[in-house]
Amino acid sequence: MRIQCHKEEILSGIQQIQNVVSTRTTLPILSNVLIEADGENITLTTTDLEVGMQCKFPAKVSRPGTTTIPAKRFSSIIRELPKDELDLEVSDNHVASIKSGSSFFRIMGLAKDEFPKFPDFKGAASFQIEQPILRDMLRKTAYCVSHDETRYVLNGVYMVAKDNKIICVATDGRRLALSEKNVELPKDFSKEVIIPSKAVNELNRILEDDGTVKILIAENQIAFELNNCVLVSRLIDGHFPNYKQVIPEKVLQKVSIDKNDLEKAVKRAALLTTEKSNSVKFNFKKGKLVLDVNTPDLGESREELDIEFDGDEVSVAFNPQFVQDVLKNLNEDNVIIELIDELNPGVLRGEMDFLCVIMPMRMS
Amino acid sequence: MKRFIIHVDMDAFFAAVEQRDRPELRGKPVVVGAPPDRRGVISAASYEARKFGIRSAMPSRTAFQKCPHAVFLPVNFKRYEEVSSQIREIFLKNTPFVQPISLDEAFLDLTHKAVDLEQAIHIAQRIKEDIYKKTKLTCSVGVAPNKFLAKIASDLQKPNGFLVVREEFKQAFLRPLPIRRIWGVGPVTEKFLKGKGFKTIRDLQECSKQELVHRIGSLAQSLYYLAHGEDDSPVQSNRQPKSMSRENTFERDVRDLEVLQGVLADLAVEVAKSLKEEDLKGKTITLKLRYENFETHTRQRTGKQYTDQAKVIQSVGQELLEQLWESKRAIRLIGLGVSHFATPEEEEPLQLQMELFPSPF
Repeated sequence: MRIQCHKEEILSGIQQIQNVVSTRTTLPILSNVLIEADGENITLTTTDLEVGMQCKFPAKVSRPGTTTIPAKRFSSIIRELPKDELDLEVSDNHVASIKSGSSFFRIMGLAKDEFPKFPDFKGAASFQIEQPILRDMLRKTAYCVSHDETRYVLNGVYMVAKDNKIICVATDGRRLALSEKNVELPKDFSKEVIIPSKAVNELNRILEDDGTVKILIAENQIAFELNNCVLVSRLIDGHFPNYKQVIPEKVLQKVSIDKNDLEKAVKRAALLTTEKSNSVKFNFKKGKLVLDVNTPDLGESREELDIEFDGDEVSVAFNPQFVQDVLKNLNEDNVIIELIDELNPGVLRGEMDFLCVIMPMRMS
Repeated sequence: MKRFIIHVDMDAFFAAVEQRDRPELRGKPVVVGAPPDRRGVISAASYEARKFGIRSAMPSRTAFQKCPHAVFLPVNFKRYEEVSSQIREIFLKNTPFVQPISLDEAFLDLTHKAVDLEQAIHIAQRIKEDIYKKTKLTCSVGVAPNKFLAKIASDLQKPNGFLVVREEFKQAFLRPLPIRRIWGVGPVTEKFLKGKGFKTIRDLQECSKQELVHRIGSLAQSLYYLAHGEDDSPVQSNRQPKSMSRENTFERDVRDLEVLQGVLADLAVEVAKSLKEEDLKGKTITLKLRYENFETHTRQRTGKQYTDQAKVIQSVGQELLEQLWESKRAIRLIGLGVSHFATPEEEEPLQLQMELFPSPF
């Protein structure tokens, strides 16, 4: 195999996919990137058996072929090459030689025989969605994904695609974020899947400001085709809990607050929380919101915000991180907070298509 | 007195937990420890991996050379601790006399629970079954009159073993075993003993004590008894203290309230400090007063909340002092203590994050 290509092109390719290589494994080939040169293209592939990524870009292929070489090493070599052009030649015994300007590298590769086959999605159900829309939905929900491996169905983002609507939901059992968008779906399309958080994170890295992404859903796998990349992932097998039951139907109080002001106030209030005493009390009073933190053996803080509130006074304690996560990812200038009482979940909303339900903390 | 000691040793514990939690690893050589490409040793190897000569404490690189296709996993200590505490719970249901050696190994003393060996065997079997029922993990159990024999017994039939050593057969049981089996005989001592012509425990048994002292010197004392199956080391259960207290005996008897209050404050600080060191919180606070004639009175109060705070202990102590002290009687000693400790389950955090879903969903 022999190719000539631009450093920037191969670098952006390898950087997009190098995160899914497996570092701790006894299958050394999973730390490698599969390089296939054919016709006028090079295809790079990586996988850790859960998530796989592939990207394709043009190159001058003077001798077609395939090989695998250590991905991280390959990536750092390419990054440091002195010239814009590079020449990659791989011998039949999988020794790769990289030449660029005055630099020369030779690294040992492995035959592709053991490299897992990239899954085929022929005949899979599919639809398309704008990349920025999907990115926004994932960004607004992914922070709620649970990392508790004993609750594996919560270790991903639940995605429902039906009735010309996409709903993304994630929860760690204490808070739940939901984002909903209207999307044109094929007739009678109806799928629900749980996408593992690793795939979501990688996807977020490669989604761009424009262009569409094609989503293909097979039996227990999902694929995202975008730009010159494909990301495939195993799906989490299991039933996502009924999220509708935890979204309060009737709320007693509702108030709209400037997002930036609230974000700054919560951030300051949280300075005096600790791991053991990790709550900020939100006291809604006539015309103002008072945030109180009182940590034994440490100290206390108080923040006051003028708000348009005329309802019955109510105080609820929340983990400030949960509130900050929502505000950080909200596009709107105002956030709407809905409350019942100090023991029932509070709801934070942006526009109609996003909400986050947060369970309060009980104070003894 | 005749004792019934059991030694419970989980089989390839860390690796077994991984294989239990990840069915795809079952039947495969699994190694838990440092990654094979780094410096470090392995902590556990599944029985499949042991077939390749992999042993715990072996450098990961060596293990990798012996079995490159083994699955190398990082140590998930938290998980093993959880399982270990489930197992410990089962032990404690049967006897408070538990001496944990590590996460996967413990001695239990069933002497007070069992009237005879048969009953001890029965309890030991039940513990083994309960562990399997609760954790789906197997262990090996040795039942014997002492810790030394129990430990050897659990090891001899691994995995999933159950071996009883009866008092009357203990010497015969030990006789064919290599000297390496004896507690404290490591590679160096083993080499030394072999140099002196001792290969099996039989060789030691056949020597009189004097002869042994003559041939191997200071080692003889302990080896002689162990070789004959004698070991009187107790099962040391590190049970939590029941109370934490401090007291102060005055050099001269005291009648002054202010002095007493000052001492009480100091005692409260010291008690609170000890509680924090032991990570304990109690809800019963006890005051003790001894008058000049050695007449001693105590009074206690149990609060709703567990505490380790000096301020709380002090203020309750003061109230108790006001109630208890027959004023103007001279006091020789004053003491302050906290008891009725919270078990980890009882110790509720000050602030509790509530759950969204009615669990289990």
